[in-house]
Amino acid sequence: MSVQNLEIRRSSASLWGGATGMRSLPDVSKYVDTSTCIGCKACEVACQEWNDLAPVETHQVGTYQTLPTLDAGFWNLIRFDEREVDGGLKWLMRKDQCMHCAEPGCLEACPAPGAIVQYANGIVDVNPDNCIGCGYCETGCPFDVPRFSAKTGKMAKCTLCVDRVSVGLEPACIKACPTGCLHFGTKEDMVALGNARVAQLKASGFPQAALYDPKGVGGTGVVTVLGFGDHPEWYGLAASPRVPLSVKFWKKWLRPIGFLAILGAIVGAFGHHLYHGNKGFIDPGPPGPDETKG
Amino acid sequence: MSKVVRQIGFDEGAYIAREKEDVVVGNEIVRHRLSSRVIHWSVAVTFFACLVTGLPVWTPVFGWMATLVGGLSVARVVHAWFGLAFALASLVMAVHWWSEMEMTKEERGWIGPKLVEYLNDAANHDRIGKYNGGQKVYFHTSGLGALGLLVSGIVMWWPMSFPQWARETALILHNVSFILFAVSLVFHIYLATVAEPGTFNSMTRGTVSKAWARIHHPKWYRELMGLEK
Repeated sequence: MSVQNLEIRRSSASLWGGATGMRSLPDVSKYVDTSTCIGCKACEVACQEWNDLAPVETHQVGTYQTLPTLDAGFWNLIRFDEREVDGGLKWLMRKDQCMHCAEPGCLEACPAPGAIVQYANGIVDVNPDNCIGCGYCETGCPFDVPRFSAKTGKMAKCTLCVDRVSVGLEPACIKACPTGCLHFGTKEDMVALGNARVAQLKASGFPQAALYDPKGVGGTGVVTVLGFGDHPEWYGLAASPRVPLSVKFWKKWLRPIGFLAILGAIVGAFGHHLYHGNKGFIDPGPPGPDETKG
Repeated sequence: MSKVVRQIGFDEGAYIAREKEDVVVGNEIVRHRLSSRVIHWSVAVTFFACLVTGLPVWTPVFGWMATLVGGLSVARVVHAWFGLAFALASLVMAVHWWSEMEMTKEERGWIGPKLVEYLNDAANHDRIGKYNGGQKVYFHTSGLGALGLLVSGIVMWWPMSFPQWARETALILHNVSFILFAVSLVFHIYLATVAEPGTFNSMTRGTVSKAWARIHHPKWYRELMGLEK
């Protein structure tokens, strides 16, 4: 990959990002092949090392999985799952991390200007300087990725090693992978690679193999080859992820409607006064005979 | 209390209004005693504290408000505490006024056409007691709104402790409750200030004039003057 610039395509709670469009950058993507992952966790270690993340306390929960779920201090997790398929045991492993959606639900839900940005190459990143730690991004994310850190009061997730990518290096996890199940490049190249691998798998006993690049979120910056492509949920992936309807409805409809309703009430009250004047301005006159006793 | 020592400059109305309401004092009537007013203003002040710290999180159009409390991240944190205070104040207010706000069947009509009639100066005020149907409706809807804001606010305070469906519901509920609350609040403030001269005084000094009571709450006036039992 060539050196990338860090122009911003989209920014949270902002009308538009800062991308000038002077240079057109291709979207970048990771390629994850679950069928050649051996669960060595080298990517987990590389991620911790490069991002200076402190070790997270682990507990033995009867699986090889390092943690039950992602954490503010653990952005790259290999999920281990055992499935009985046609009488045989399948040991499924998938690299769980931020998917870097083309239409990021986290960014849409975020109320803090510039706290979540999407760079011109498609990488979705949290800017801790602007993050207010409200956790809306976790509600907006269809992949349950962003995590709140009680220590920093901010949200944290995989940055797709934007600091490495921007100077022409590949992400730390990709660099560490010993089997070649991880690759990094332009989205176009990674999709082509994925399709080729899916064709291979289909020809060798995995007719249901598929490339996971869900269109509901505009495609993702992590494309995943699934041996059992008809069951993404076996790998902990949603079958058809979307930005939650509630978040879209809130931002696109409820908020502008509410804004106009409140403004309308103010204008209405003002107009009412212009038209009617004071209520009860006219002197009611002397009290009637039944009102004078008191 | 009953024996008021009069001297020059002594404000008997305000003095009586410290502890009693629904009392005629000279040309005035005490409408809200001190405790009622303190409770009302507790709700109002905490609500506006929530408004100033919540609006910049709601939309960046109001981002400048966050500066007043030291930035968006501060606003986000203090909003929750202001919200808690607002909920407590609202609870006290609900208990305080509950018995006076019971609605008759006729008063339920204020949710619809009666309100329009009222705003058009076409409503018959003759049977209106201390509170009219609109005020009672506002009491109940603002109470419901406060409840909605509290329940959804708790979820939004600690989003990670709640499942996805609860977080999504909370986002929508907090928005809807706020919008309804804010719209009715605009009319509440308008009617209590510029629209009806003399009304605001009932929430500051605690008293209204007899003429005001005759115009807006004739039944209440007649009761206090001993004209109607």
